Amino acid sequence: MDNDYFSIDAILAENQKIQCTFKVDIPDMGHLAGGSDRDIKSLTKAPIPIWLAYIMLFSDWADFTIPSPFGTRVRNALKAEPRSVKLSNLVGAGGLWYGFGKMVMDILSEEQANGISEVLTKAFKGRLLEVIDQAQHFAALGPAGGGGPSTDTAQSFREGLDGTERELFALAQESAKRMKRWHEGNDKARR
Amino acid sequence: MALPQSLRTSVTPLELELIASEQLVEIVPLITMEKTAFISGAYGPLRPPAKCRIPLWMATNLKLKKKCHIVPPEWLSVEFLQERLTRETSRPEFSKLPFRFAEIAKVILDVASDDVQNADKIKSLLKDLREARQAKSRDGLQKLDHSELSLPNLCSMEINEIRPFFIQSMGILTQLVREPSAE
Repeated sequence: MDNDYFSIDAILAENQKIQCTFKVDIPDMGHLAGGSDRDIKSLTKAPIPIWLAYIMLFSDWADFTIPSPFGTRVRNALKAEPRSVKLSNLVGAGGLWYGFGKMVMDILSEEQANGISEVLTKAFKGRLLEVIDQAQHFAALGPAGGGGPSTDTAQSFREGLDGTERELFALAQESAKRMKRWHEGNDKARR
Repeated sequence: MALPQSLRTSVTPLELELIASEQLVEIVPLITMEKTAFISGAYGPLRPPAKCRIPLWMATNLKLKKKCHIVPPEWLSVEFLQERLTRETSRPEFSKLPFRFAEIAKVILDVASDDVQNADKIKSLLKDLREARQAKSRDGLQKLDHSELSLPNLCSMEINEIRPFFIQSMGILTQLVREPSAE
C-alpha cells in the first residue's frame, strides 16, 4: 500500500477501476471503453484502472468522479457505525479498500484529499479495536472450536474485513496463540 | 524473508524466557560446589546451608536435580502482588513491575512451586494482573496515533505480544494520514 513501484499491495490496490470522462478524442483506443467504437470521442465516460487514470489525469486528458466505494452513501454508513460496513464487498474479493483510497487521495486536490483521508483514518481506527478483540478470542479456541462466539455480527464483520485488516487479524491471532501456548506449557519435561 | 510475518518484528516467548533466565536468584544449596567459571561469569562457592546468588538457569537445573531450594524474589509474594493488583485496578496507568516478572514467575512456579508460599494464590494473582494490564493496553489502542504511542511501565512479555500488531497498524495509519500534509 505504498507508492513503491514493487509493492504488491500497491499493484493490487491500483487494479480498481474508476469512472473517467475523456476530454479529448483518442483515435484507435475504442477497445478501452469496452464498446465497439473505433475511437473514443471526448466526453465519453469509461471505466479505467487507476494506474492508467493517473497519467491521463496528470496530462489533463480526462476528468474523473470520486468512485462509489468512497461515495456519500459509504461515508455516511461509516460515520454511523464503522464496524458494520463490509469493506470487502466494496472492492471485490480480497480487495484493498484502504489501498485504493490512498491512491485516489494521491490524485485528488487538497481539500478533497483531506476529506478522504479523514474518512479512511476514522474508519480504520473504529474497526481496529474490533479486529484485535476478535483475533484474541479466536486465538483462545482450538482448531475445532469455531462454533463458539460466531454470532452473526461477529462473523459478518470478519467476512467484511479489508485485506490490510486481515493481515492485522492474523498477526494479533498469532501472537495471542503463542502467548497462550507458552503460559500453559509445563516445561518440567523439557528442562 | 523466511520468517512468518508475525515473527519478523518480535521474538518468541521461549526466547524471552531464556533471556530472563540470566537474572540472579537466591538459592539455598543442598550440595557443595567450588567457585566455578561459566561463560556468563563465575558463581559459587556453594556452601550449604548458606544462601547464594546464582543465575536462574543454573538454579532451575539444580532444583530439578533436587540439589537446591529456590528462594522466591521479594516481589513474588502474595502481599506484594496483591498490592500491585489493587493499584493496577484503581489507576489508569500501568503500575511498576519488574521488567521480566512474567517469565521469572513462570519459571519459578513451574520448577519450584513447593518453595513458594501460596503458589496457587500467586498464580491467580498473576493472571488477574495480566488481564488487567491487557485491558489497559486495549484502551491504549484507542488512542493509537500515527506518530507516537507511549505506554510506560509495560513489561517485556506484554511488549512482545502487542508489538507486531501495533507496528503494522501505526504503519498503515501513517500512510493514510500523512498524504494530505505532504501535498
